[in-house]
Amino acid sequence: MDGLDTAPLLTVEHVTKSFGGVQAMRDGSFDLNRGEVVAIVGGNGAGKSTLAKIVSGAHVPDSGRICIKGVEIPRADHSVSHMQACGIEVVYQDLALVPNMTAPYNLFLGRIPRKWGLFVDEKKMRKKTREVLKQLNVTTVQDLSQPISSMSGGQQQSIAIGRAIAWGSDIVILDEPTAALGPNETGEVERLVEDVRDQHGTSFILISHNLDQVRRLADRIIVTHHGVTSREFKRDEITSDRLVKAITLGE
Amino acid sequence: MSDTTTARPLLTPERVEKLRDYVPFIAIALVILMFWAISGDRFMSVRNWTFIAQQTPVLLLLAFAQLMIVTTGSIDISIGSSLAFSAFLGALGMLWFGDVGLILGVLAGGFVGMVNGCIISLLKIPSFVTTLAMLIIVRALVIIMSDGTSIYITSDSGASGGNISSVAAPWLLSMGKFPAIFILAAIVALLMWAFYEKTVFGQQLRAVGGNEKVLRLVGINVTTFKIKVFAAAGLMVGLAACVNLARAGAATPQAGMMMELDAIAAVALGGTPLTGGYGSVVKTIIGALTLTIVRNGLTIAGVPPSWSQVALGLLLIAAIAISLNRSKIDVVK
Repeated sequence: MDGLDTAPLLTVEHVTKSFGGVQAMRDGSFDLNRGEVVAIVGGNGAGKSTLAKIVSGAHVPDSGRICIKGVEIPRADHSVSHMQACGIEVVYQDLALVPNMTAPYNLFLGRIPRKWGLFVDEKKMRKKTREVLKQLNVTTVQDLSQPISSMSGGQQQSIAIGRAIAWGSDIVILDEPTAALGPNETGEVERLVEDVRDQHGTSFILISHNLDQVRRLADRIIVTHHGVTSREFKRDEITSDRLVKAITLGE
Repeated sequence: MSDTTTARPLLTPERVEKLRDYVPFIAIALVILMFWAISGDRFMSVRNWTFIAQQTPVLLLLAFAQLMIVTTGSIDISIGSSLAFSAFLGALGMLWFGDVGLILGVLAGGFVGMVNGCIISLLKIPSFVTTLAMLIIVRALVIIMSDGTSIYITSDSGASGGNISSVAAPWLLSMGKFPAIFILAAIVALLMWAFYEKTVFGQQLRAVGGNEKVLRLVGINVTTFKIKVFAAAGLMVGLAACVNLARAGAATPQAGMMMELDAIAAVALGGTPLTGGYGSVVKTIIGALTLTIVRNGLTIAGVPPSWSQVALGLLLIAAIAISLNRSKIDVVK
């Protein structure tokens, strides 16, 4: 098993996925290195969301290989919880938070710490939440007993990103992370992504329609077209015109 | 949050929001004062309050069951029929296996709840429709099983005769009286509070009511969770049925009719939105007490039963109108 350390963090090779008669992903391949931000762009129905959901474990691919740190994920194990255990987390576009619950609860969603097997360990949750918010330099969230619906969109997305990185994950998938936010809040979230990458060496897969944002954040850009990952560009070698051409025409 | 030094009006929007939290408590205080003023000592007597303490527990347990389900955003209108079914099976259990057989009543409630949960989660039929169907089916089953007759709980074994079914269980009858019934209700209320407010399960009830989709995304199995919720609520209904059996001294085919509506009303009077995501055990207790007190007070004041129903309906609308901030609701279904 030599070469494990040099293998990319994540390798996706020729994955396919159909829904009924529709082939949403015909041939998806890309890899992701540690501390890298890779953007996946493409028009509507080009397959970028499908690709992201395959990586997150929400969709099981029909064929193809996915390797994490050089180890292949058997198709039988392919699930959200398995991918989480492998260090992959997702931040969804519609925030994917529970609006009537507090920030600590949302941070611990699916991992609520228990006391005596039955009860919520609230103290532990509050402590960890303060730590995570401090790590993220989020100082605006003060009252941890409020439902998060009373917070701003940027604060909510910070909690969502906090949830993704709080559990020591290596890879965070950002699915249209700022689509629902205003310009200031978008800037706040972008700063957060860069901070987390620099401080923790976390890798990001960014799904975005916002090409300016893609060019600001991504080290590499993967273009999907008709269910195929057709092109790949480095940040420095791409102009907006070429990117738009690649997205619309697949060339 | 810039605080200005200028005089602020007494009822700022934030204060109104805070006040809404206290509506159930204010309502029950007003109701008690009103009936005290109208009926004086006939209402405010030890005898009458003992009566209220005996009347409330069954409704309270049913309201707890409803609270669990309503918090997830579903509703269960089959609990009245389930109560009759459970009480009947509890009585049958005692006929077959002796005193321990009463546990069959609790389990029967859990079973009906589990069936509800399975139909709702697996067949994806809305809870209102599912439990409406179960309300009809389960009531019919009770009538078929009982052949229209009741099973009586008696204090001595010699009383039964002919084709009347009866079980001698003086301990059960004494459980149905003050103070035993009150102590039992208080213990259940305490356990329910810990369960609903402090456990992971209780928090998940609110989370499911808030955004079920998100829970599925993070890998929580909402389908089995909902079945568990309906089963747990069903067990509570089963317990209510046993308390009702003790209280009424008989399992009758008509038991619990319209009780599902009382349970929903008690939850709503406690300020819990029927849309899910929020709820409180303490306020549900207040809601159940308010409902019992109003009914009791109106009877003592000599209001005919039909008119008391009208008054209860109006109270329910008023309580919800005041306790929920409807300005934030864009769609009313």
